[in-house]
Amino acid sequence: MMEQKLRQEAKALLEQKKVDWIVGFETGSLKFTTTPLITKDIADTERLVINPFITNNLANFLTEIEGRVGIVAKGCESRSIVSLIQDNKVAREDLVILAVPCPGIIDLAKIERLVGKDRDELEDISRDGDKVSVKVDGQKKDFAVADVLFDHCLACELPTPTEYDILLGEPRLPTPDLKASGQNIVDLKELTSAERWAKWQDEMSRCIRCYACRNVCPACFCERCFVEETEPQWVMPMPQWPDNLIFQIIRNIHVAGRCTDCGECERVCPVNIPLRSLTREMYDIVGELFKFKSGMDKDALPLMVHYEQEEAEEFFK
Amino acid sequence: MAKKISKKDIAQLLKTWSQQFTVLAPSRASGVAEMAEWDGKDTSFLDWYRNTTVPPKASFLPPMEEMFRFRKDEEGYRIEPPDKNGRKQLLFGIRPCDARAMAILDMTFEDAYKDPYYLEKRRNTVLVGMGCTNPCESCFCTSMGTSPTDPTNVDIMLIDIGDHFLVEAVTDKGKELITKTKDLKEAAKSDEAEAEKSKETSYNKVVRKLDTKGIKDKLRDSFDDEEFWEKTAAKCISCGICTLLCPTCYCFDINDETDKGEGTRFRSWDSCGFSAYTKMPMENPRSEKWRRVRQKVCHKYEFYPMAFDVIACTGCGRCIRLCPVNWDITQVIESVPDRVKGAK
Repeated sequence: MMEQKLRQEAKALLEQKKVDWIVGFETGSLKFTTTPLITKDIADTERLVINPFITNNLANFLTEIEGRVGIVAKGCESRSIVSLIQDNKVAREDLVILAVPCPGIIDLAKIERLVGKDRDELEDISRDGDKVSVKVDGQKKDFAVADVLFDHCLACELPTPTEYDILLGEPRLPTPDLKASGQNIVDLKELTSAERWAKWQDEMSRCIRCYACRNVCPACFCERCFVEETEPQWVMPMPQWPDNLIFQIIRNIHVAGRCTDCGECERVCPVNIPLRSLTREMYDIVGELFKFKSGMDKDALPLMVHYEQEEAEEFFK
Repeated sequence: MAKKISKKDIAQLLKTWSQQFTVLAPSRASGVAEMAEWDGKDTSFLDWYRNTTVPPKASFLPPMEEMFRFRKDEEGYRIEPPDKNGRKQLLFGIRPCDARAMAILDMTFEDAYKDPYYLEKRRNTVLVGMGCTNPCESCFCTSMGTSPTDPTNVDIMLIDIGDHFLVEAVTDKGKELITKTKDLKEAAKSDEAEAEKSKETSYNKVVRKLDTKGIKDKLRDSFDDEEFWEKTAAKCISCGICTLLCPTCYCFDINDETDKGEGTRFRSWDSCGFSAYTKMPMENPRSEKWRRVRQKVCHKYEFYPMAFDVIACTGCGRCIRLCPVNWDITQVIESVPDRVKGAK
């Protein structure tokens, strides 16, 4: 239904030359995957899909595409888009936002842990309301949807974009479960400071500096990233844990007030570093200190580049 | 005549080998699947191991390694080589795709150059291969000159025959080690027949196929097709996953860590996909993303065949299953236009 409407709308946008590009999802080459579809070709719109596996944050592509773009946006994507508009990286008038009311995206890693099989060994995954059925070895296993969605989806505050041009389905109301979503962070906070330090040392020791976390992040839009500065060199490019940690900490501070908790950094990490524990904590700190939620209002001033009389710190007054 | 060993006795076998070698085996203890120093007891990999996320090349070309130390005194700079560990290591359970990748890396690090860091580790290592029984959806080894049970590039090969492995010596190094290893039993004719069946079953489980016929020429003829490469690169995010975790990619960067006239020179993994690649000596000549994607594809499927007559891809599938955007090398290779035939 949503998919049919999307294909029609996308096709019309290209035909009527209202956009130069369509950015959406098509079926991926592996089971239960989708892949970004970035196209100018009207015929390609037939391949657009909307399903429980549309993981990528497509807003990431906006800063590199030239021309007007029709973009498929879940709530989290729309927040990233709004954040990019706030930062003057993207012009609202160059976009046609095709809004997808999103029921949450399925985290295949959670299903793998629950059934003890790799994703390519599963025969089928289907969702019906609050139930997700997984078929494996001919047997059907049912799970509560809350057990198999991404952690960041559990905390979602905006399933349906509020900034859009075309709404593709019935709006969904947010039902955030912050406790379930933030369990990893709660567990971390229960450690002593020394234990936590040792844990992050361990986690950061695995980093291979592929920069997928940075490159997949719509909020990481710097044309020259500090890690690539060579004169002076801020961070050594070798993957040793102190430099890896510094990279993550600075990256996290740079995206404070821009990070919309889309969870992509953690999803794409090939060595399983729980990066969202850092970004979500920063998101909550930003909310607490500045009463600011990134990507909610395109007319709001970006948090880190403006100043208000009522600044919390005496220093700024 | 081949030998065999019960799966229950693998721990004992590794203990025996540990007396002589540093044994590396598949492990998830660090939080990611990789070849890690065996802990003396864990053989749970026999249940979960399909392939490691970090390729075994990391045991020969580590993510970072010390090249030498230097310090300055009145007479000038003094160079000290790194401590030679000289240890003999045994890599247990390497998959045929990754073993082939080592043979492909040898062409650069041994045939074209003599890389002392790489070669020392390579010469001191015994490779014990383990055939796959459960290839991944992303695997396409049978299209890339190898197979799930190919013994070609290892010293000793293990083939799964149910509750046992059939153990075959492949090289002289392997034969010598097997002769000295008392934990192995003689295999029966029926075990060898079972192994043949197992090989065929595994082979047929690799369903992803890639036709690479004429690819070198097709890529050469498409080198200037900017439109094709822009389309191919559109969704790539220029991260380093597909290159750093590729078993045949070997680019490295060199950096000095210095402090008051003394320091250490390191080399570490680098990727042609990065926009800052080769920025240290000059600039990256491939500033647009499509040029970097083209480089990655052509290095594997055109330049390596030109230099060494072999495609630098073994079909291990890591780049497909780990890619954040599902950029699929097999789809890309299949989409390269065939200009001779006029097909587009």
